[in-house]
Amino acid sequence: MAAKLRAPGFYRAGWMMALGVAFAFFLTWVIRASTGHSTFRHYISGEAITTVSILAVPLLFLVGIGGFDYWFYWAMGRPTRPEDHSGHGARTWKDYFRINTDHKVIGIQYTVTSFFFLLVGGLIAMLMRAELAQPGAQFVDANTFNGLFSVHASLLIFLFVIPVFAGLANFVLPLMIGAPDMAFPRLNALSYWLLPVAGALMLGSFFAPGGAFADGWTAYAPLSTNAPIGQDFFSVGVQFAGASSIMTALNFLVTIITMRAPGMSFFRMPLLVWANFATSLLVVIATPFIAASQFFVLLDRGLGFNFFKAGNGGDVLMYQHVFWFYSHPAVYIMMLPGFGIISEIIAVKSRKPIFGYRMMAFSLLAIVVLGFTVWAHHMFTSGMAAWIRIPMAITTAIIAVPTGIKVFSWLATLWRGVLRLDTPMLFALGFLTTFTLGGISGVMLAMVPFDIHVSSSYFIVAHIHYVLFGGSLMTIFGGVYYWFPKMTGRMFDERLGKMHFWSTFVLFNLTFGPMHILGLQGMPRRVADYASRFADMNLFISIASFGLGLSTLIFLYNIVTSWRGGPVSVANPWRGMTLEWQVSSPPPIFNFDRVPTVVGGPYEYGVPGAVHGIFAPTPAAAGVGSGLARAPSE
Amino acid sequence: MEAASVAHAAEHEHHGPPPANVSSRVEPQLLGMLLFIISEVMVFGAFFTAYFFIRVGQGDPWPAPGTELPVAVAGVNTAILVSSSLTMHWAQTSIKNGNRFGLKAGILTTFLLGATFLFVQINEYANIGFAPQNHAQQTIFYSLTGLHGAHVFIGLMLLLFVTIRSFRGHYTPQEHRGVEVPGIYWHFVDVMWIIVYSTVYVL
Repeated sequence: MAAKLRAPGFYRAGWMMALGVAFAFFLTWVIRASTGHSTFRHYISGEAITTVSILAVPLLFLVGIGGFDYWFYWAMGRPTRPEDHSGHGARTWKDYFRINTDHKVIGIQYTVTSFFFLLVGGLIAMLMRAELAQPGAQFVDANTFNGLFSVHASLLIFLFVIPVFAGLANFVLPLMIGAPDMAFPRLNALSYWLLPVAGALMLGSFFAPGGAFADGWTAYAPLSTNAPIGQDFFSVGVQFAGASSIMTALNFLVTIITMRAPGMSFFRMPLLVWANFATSLLVVIATPFIAASQFFVLLDRGLGFNFFKAGNGGDVLMYQHVFWFYSHPAVYIMMLPGFGIISEIIAVKSRKPIFGYRMMAFSLLAIVVLGFTVWAHHMFTSGMAAWIRIPMAITTAIIAVPTGIKVFSWLATLWRGVLRLDTPMLFALGFLTTFTLGGISGVMLAMVPFDIHVSSSYFIVAHIHYVLFGGSLMTIFGGVYYWFPKMTGRMFDERLGKMHFWSTFVLFNLTFGPMHILGLQGMPRRVADYASRFADMNLFISIASFGLGLSTLIFLYNIVTSWRGGPVSVANPWRGMTLEWQVSSPPPIFNFDRVPTVVGGPYEYGVPGAVHGIFAPTPAAAGVGSGLARAPSE
Repeated sequence: MEAASVAHAAEHEHHGPPPANVSSRVEPQLLGMLLFIISEVMVFGAFFTAYFFIRVGQGDPWPAPGTELPVAVAGVNTAILVSSSLTMHWAQTSIKNGNRFGLKAGILTTFLLGATFLFVQINEYANIGFAPQNHAQQTIFYSLTGLHGAHVFIGLMLLLFVTIRSFRGHYTPQEHRGVEVPGIYWHFVDVMWIIVYSTVYVL
């Protein structure tokens, strides 16, 4: 038992978390007792202990689980430990519940955890739709409702869409570029374990006195600086989720720059790698801004600073500028990796070289640059200087151009292709449809007068769900189906997959399509109750949304049963050329016996004699990855 | 999960991963630190945004009437921190040339200079006569200098580890990345202080 308590793992994490609470108790007590500040009339304050605890307990959990062990060892000046690979790879299911340095294990940890938060966030959405099915209050009071939509958005943004892309890329990106692992495997492991911590904090806010944080995922000051203690759970949770994104992004960038296989020049990289390169740049540059905005809120709330106290010279509008300087690039963080997934699926399933490969790559970089010039289009009605709206409207309209280049390139790739309409491809085509609709409503919102008209109405809700559900989630489903055989070595049920797609696609449009009309008619968003003239359409939306929720069960059933006992998949079921399909399914523990050599582009489908990667035959290679990764003859 | 784990336990366990191809002249650790510094610059950027909104946006006199910023003391402190960058450079060049005394003396001096800077900074907080709770101007003063102080503290932690390892005989002219990478961070902390000092105290 004593050894278990000392070794990294959940036992050590347990007592360390208890230690964290004790630390918070003593720290706040000592500070309050010693300063004698007039605001600290009581030496023991539950709120102060909670605030310090939600910082200390997660950190000590990470120490306990072993996230920092190697660096502590290094910091103490001990000799550098040779790499023994004991923390690499999964032999039993238990290996998924510890610090693991294998990018494939981390990829699955990331993806499964993110989908857990998708389900929780989806259930919260069901609760909201139940409340909104009829005018008046039925199930929850207004404050709880505010908490529900805030947690719904925060979970799905910070703990589903952003990390699930990191998870999928974690699994396939090193394989795609011919690297044995990520550049910093231990940092990779730590960045995963920050996620459940952030999720636990955000969900834990429901148990805080005063209820969950209830001012939306945007947490505008001064609403947030005056909110009950639940707000701290959001502010701190975002710090952990943000740190996790930055670490992963840094890791991706270093991996892509320094660990590509010989011959894999930048313009021979698959577009998924390009997409994650662009996304990681955005994350590294933008995410510090949301961290800072939440630091401001925490300092105002916890220590009585004056960032947002207008009476003391603070500036409330500054919160929105700092927040949106991250959160607008964040919508591209939530979309660009999806673009990468769609490029992979559409090229493979059309059996054609991707149209305009270089423009696809350049348009990603253009989005990265332009993404930093549009943030104030979220603030057209905020009362900032009116002239700023004009340049922001123009840049917002311009940023549709690189996105349009991508959409037309995908369409041109489909043109006269030999289409194979299986589940991943259906999701890719569904994405093209719904994302284009969401993009068009985005361009509408770039126009200042129209934006002012529909601001804070259901039109915004419709737009955001068309781009994040119809856009990102469709690509995520497509990506999960596409790489499921590679990740698990099993094949999913194609019939159930198609059922999942059609039910999702139809019910999605039935749920969120009418919201455009509701918004134009003037129904405000973020309210638990509404005028009775909106009742019919809301009932319709609620019924459709329950169906949409149920359609997820088809996906879950398909994934769980296929993972447990689906037919064994071959190494390359889609006849893809990119390197991840040239190794066994699931890939060997160290990916490659010898790093392959890349001699051509990744998407030369249907080009006679085209070769992407060459695997040197090795004596140890047990039937995997020998010979040429040749485009299968059509 | 079982399916995945079964196949993972293939015959590949007896050896390590194949050596990764090196596709860039920049070392991974160096690149990682540079990207981290970009991130850090953006954190400071956000704090400077707040500074801009509060100082320039509000248009109130800076520093607020009745308060005074110790420009001279902080100027001496700036000199201390900048000289610590020079001693850091001394330590880095020493280990590249195999000069162990230079490494140890340089890194220890850097650590002591950094600690002095932090001590003077804390002393300044104690005697400056206003608190961040008073007004937004004081809030942003404490936030920018405090954010920088936190970075000095992190840098000092890294320097402490490097000092311990230097005195234990680690690092060689061939293998000195452990001095190089924290050194870059320390230089970043110094350059950032020059920006903070000139905007908050001088301008």
